[in-house]
Amino acid sequence: MIITKKALSRRTFLRGAGAAVALPLLDSMLPAMTPLARTAAKPVPRLSYVYLPMGTNLPLWLPAEQGRLTRFSPILESLTPHLRAITVISNLDLKNAYSAGNHATANSAFLSAARAKMTEGSDFELATTIDQVAARHLGGDSLLPSLEVAMDLNSITGNCDNGYACVYQNNLSWANARTPLPPEAHPRVVFERLFGTGESPAARRAEFRKDASILDWVREDLRRLERDLGVADRSTVSDYLESVREVERRVQNAERRISDSPAPDSDRPDGVPAAFGDHAKLMFDLQVLALRGDVTRVMTFQLARELSNRSYPEIGVAEGHHTSSHHANNPVKVANLTRINTFHVSLFGHYLDRLAATPDGAGTLLDHTLILCGSGMGNPDVHNHTDLPILLAGGAAGAHRGGRHIRYAQPTPLANLHLTMMRQLGVPLGSFSDSTGVLGELNEKVL
Amino acid sequence: MRANLAHLLAAACPWLPCLPAAAAPAPLSPAAFVTQACSDCHAGGVTKGDFSLEKLDVARPGANPEAWELVVRKLRHRLMPPADEWRPDEPSYEAMIAHLETQLDEAARAAPNPGRGGTFRRLTRREYHQAIRDLLDLEVDVAALLPKDDISLGFDNITVGGLSATLMDRYLAAARKIGMLAIGRPPALPVTEVIRIPPDLTQESHFEGMPFGTRGGAAAAHVFPVDGEYEFQLRLTRDRNGRIEGRAGTYLLDLLLDGATLKRLEYTKAHDRGASDDGDQVLNARAKVRAGTRTIGAAFVQGGGAMPETEKQPNLAQFHLERHPRPRPALATITVVGPFQPAGAADSPSRRRIFGDAPSGPTDETATARRAIETLARRAFRRPVTPEDLAGPWRLYAETRRTEGFDAGIEAALRAILASPHFIFRIERDPPAVAGAAFHPVSDFELASRLSFFLWGAIPDDRLLAAAGRGDLRTPAVFDAEVRRLLDDERSASLARNFAAQWLHLVNLDTVAPDSRLFLEFDHNLRQSMRRETELLFADVLRSGASVLDLLRSSHTFLDERLARHYRIPGVHGARFRRVELPPGSHRRGLLTHASILTVTSFNNRTSPVVRGNWIVQNILGAPLRPPPPNVGDLQERTPDGRLRSIKDQVAEHRKAPACAGCHALLDPPGFALEHFDAIGQWRNHDGEHPIESAGALPDGGTFEDATSLQEAILRRPEIFAQTALEKLLVYALGRGLTAHDMPEVRRILRATRPGDYRLRDLVVEVTRSLPFQHRSRP
Repeated sequence: MIITKKALSRRTFLRGAGAAVALPLLDSMLPAMTPLARTAAKPVPRLSYVYLPMGTNLPLWLPAEQGRLTRFSPILESLTPHLRAITVISNLDLKNAYSAGNHATANSAFLSAARAKMTEGSDFELATTIDQVAARHLGGDSLLPSLEVAMDLNSITGNCDNGYACVYQNNLSWANARTPLPPEAHPRVVFERLFGTGESPAARRAEFRKDASILDWVREDLRRLERDLGVADRSTVSDYLESVREVERRVQNAERRISDSPAPDSDRPDGVPAAFGDHAKLMFDLQVLALRGDVTRVMTFQLARELSNRSYPEIGVAEGHHTSSHHANNPVKVANLTRINTFHVSLFGHYLDRLAATPDGAGTLLDHTLILCGSGMGNPDVHNHTDLPILLAGGAAGAHRGGRHIRYAQPTPLANLHLTMMRQLGVPLGSFSDSTGVLGELNEKVL
Repeated sequence: MRANLAHLLAAACPWLPCLPAAAAPAPLSPAAFVTQACSDCHAGGVTKGDFSLEKLDVARPGANPEAWELVVRKLRHRLMPPADEWRPDEPSYEAMIAHLETQLDEAARAAPNPGRGGTFRRLTRREYHQAIRDLLDLEVDVAALLPKDDISLGFDNITVGGLSATLMDRYLAAARKIGMLAIGRPPALPVTEVIRIPPDLTQESHFEGMPFGTRGGAAAAHVFPVDGEYEFQLRLTRDRNGRIEGRAGTYLLDLLLDGATLKRLEYTKAHDRGASDDGDQVLNARAKVRAGTRTIGAAFVQGGGAMPETEKQPNLAQFHLERHPRPRPALATITVVGPFQPAGAADSPSRRRIFGDAPSGPTDETATARRAIETLARRAFRRPVTPEDLAGPWRLYAETRRTEGFDAGIEAALRAILASPHFIFRIERDPPAVAGAAFHPVSDFELASRLSFFLWGAIPDDRLLAAAGRGDLRTPAVFDAEVRRLLDDERSASLARNFAAQWLHLVNLDTVAPDSRLFLEFDHNLRQSMRRETELLFADVLRSGASVLDLLRSSHTFLDERLARHYRIPGVHGARFRRVELPPGSHRRGLLTHASILTVTSFNNRTSPVVRGNWIVQNILGAPLRPPPPNVGDLQERTPDGRLRSIKDQVAEHRKAPACAGCHALLDPPGFALEHFDAIGQWRNHDGEHPIESAGALPDGGTFEDATSLQEAILRRPEIFAQTALEKLLVYALGRGLTAHDMPEVRRILRATRPGDYRLRDLVVEVTRSLPFQHRSRP
């Protein structure tokens, strides 16, 4: 069979190759990329978003207790070791996600809380997402202002949601209303973006200088184009120029941060693990590495795509996720959905495990990171966006305490949580999309 | 609704053939048509479907082309008035449509509007791949370099206006990698590349393109950056317990380079099941390889291994530990590590492409560099280059030449060219304004790019650029000759592989995963063969000058043994695809019976008549539908007392909701026509316990019994399918959605191609000649 590598990336095989995909190996190179000196007294806050598609089986997600939490619900049970670091927040809603294409807009509203312009064409419009608002303030001198990762390597055609272009479904993060930030799903590409391709420090410096010189010229060239164009096209070019400047900053930061010991090249992840769980864990591990090396401070991760009809034979679910999510209270389908939700949550648990096991300053990465994990859909059977499954995790450098279940009596905008999180991290923001205030309960001391 | 005798007659007997010919009344006038057929719902303050004709003048539709083009389309598909309302007779429908179209076309003739696509159109990932191939003779794994493109309107080349910082970053990184490979700079450390073979590929038979006498294995293009020694590691598939699959025995594998055996390796699988299973660690070889894009592969030598003495007919798919295990070992990965002792690359296909036949010598280094950079930039930017264009690349060359040498200098210049907006984007500029001109012809070089990206999905070649440079590309004889030449070139396979594969959703085959408990027969081999059949039929119709309608009625198709067995068509042996006349009773004829399409329109465990019907409506009929209202319920698989409903009943139940009924009356019948094919396209007479009911009717009254007669019913009005195919071609060619202003040109092309029975090739040629393809509106 003649194959193209491109067609293979999705269905790969974990074992047998001389190449390693397991992650522990990656740890060994960490000393080579020591982060900038950080004092233990003032840890740097980090921010991470994890998207779970298509809501959940809510009755088995919600803990029985409200207020102080001693036990998780069945779906969340695997997170028990981190109970003290997690707040379950329920009855938040996304009014702007209601649309003819509920799956597309569940994804697009999750971090924007905004209404997506209904179009299948290229005239799509959303809004700046909260992670990008944060990235402008938290980025500091990290290499990448933000990192966007996902699990789907292939684009699909024809089944994006009713009347909504695929951009809404594919991209969680948007730099502005017109610029989605495409996530990367290939572990090696993520790794190389984070840590380079393994030349000597001198060679890497030379490469960065060339990149800087090329970008210089690209900027000149765009300016030249700008002069020749009409008004509308000129604003396009100035958007491009903004992107070029952004990359220039990244290149400068990267050059400044080259340490004198090269990162070893031989153990970078080569392929995409065949099993979904292995791939997801690898992507989580890469995010931990990114935080640990202070390569970035803001990350978004789409654990699966809305409308994904992936089946999960590894946990005994032969039916697709989307099909199972329309369960009509059929017990078999509900059970399948529950298993998928539980499996996804356990992968998130792996992420928390790794963060908790990674020292950072005087504590761990989990202590210094604020993580929002959840879905833009509540009950997938009816496509609603009310009572969303939402977890807030991590210590946020002292700003967040877990071990609680906060349930709002009235549906409360998810945007309020976005706003509250910004306040917790010291990002100045007056309001966000349809927010009506902050969630004061989050700041109350735990009993 | 108004009721008079004629109306009652029409309502009782709505289809033309059953009306006595002598009694046919004169068709309604346009004004009467609107009053009688439209006004109850779309005038007088009533705006059903948010649509009103209240302020519109049916005598002058050219004043509101958007609204009236929608009316034309609704009437053409007989979607309005709704089937359960009073409807005009056929002559009135045709007269109304003719009136509107004539008026709209005349208005467009008086004020042509070619539309305006984006000034900046980024190359899609596949276009980028092909551009690198043509520019540098290099096959790069573009999926590892660039993020995927977003799909709009069914195609990847619509949403291409943006350049996020992430994307710019990736272009920069891609330029760095490609620069290294093209010039042949040895990497700092040996690089490991793993070629993975899909785990659900059955490797029991001989594959097309592999040496005779072999079975299984795989081959893939791989770029060897420099001459040097490389290590190859072959690894075999393992079951989930970590054991190498297949029976005990001794097996031979050939490591192949460009189809020739590089080395023969031997592997023995022991009987002992307890021992750790790493016998394939010996499947390593080192060899010297010359720089360039080469095909690396491996396959098993036929024979070897103990064959079972008796066995029932084996399953076609053999890769699954429990249900249909592999009888013999199979290849899982080919790993290439290297180079060791790199010898540099004095010569490689990429270097010949960059330097021509005159590689650098010590005496004419500067001249060589100038020539190479100028040629690269001209091809990459797809137009003559100015000194300003070259300033940046030259600066990179000069700076790097000083510190790192000549090759590194050329590489740096190449990187600058590949990161340039003039390469990444197709840029179309407005010429100085001419008073009174609302649009202009695009420049000859812009036209050359429009042609090559449409027909090849790639950059123009030197010949096409030369035609543009001479300024005679627009002379009809030259233009037609170039279009002909491009279509005859093998690169036009892009129309099948990119256009048709997206139009017909074949690209989704890569990600379908039918439930392996229900569909034991499905494996990667079948997935590939399915896609190949449809692409080959499309390519055949295009190449042979056949009618586009043949896609729905061709009495032949293209099969290999695997797919022929899937179709239960005897007499096709071996892995080679060949043209096969479809025997009577095979149930196969036309696209709608292709396993590819039947599979991508199914769920992983069952068929979906609704998805299939929607696919037909969108991609074959081109009927205008509004998306379903929010929060429609899912199908109810069971009755309230818990019995399993037939799919027909489930859908019928769903249609009871008034919000659903309108569209589903159109969607469902064609979907049900395909119910004789299961979720991987195999023929069946029952779905579980329910017999298949596939008969139905189209909104225009054409009835059908099954898939074949559905296609016949569609082709009774051939212009419907021809128009859909044409519109898809136009969207792909223009990279934008069509508007009302494009419809007069659509109709012109349909008129022009009707005498030839809508030859696909004529449709493609007419698209290149069309007003919107050749022109652009001013902002």
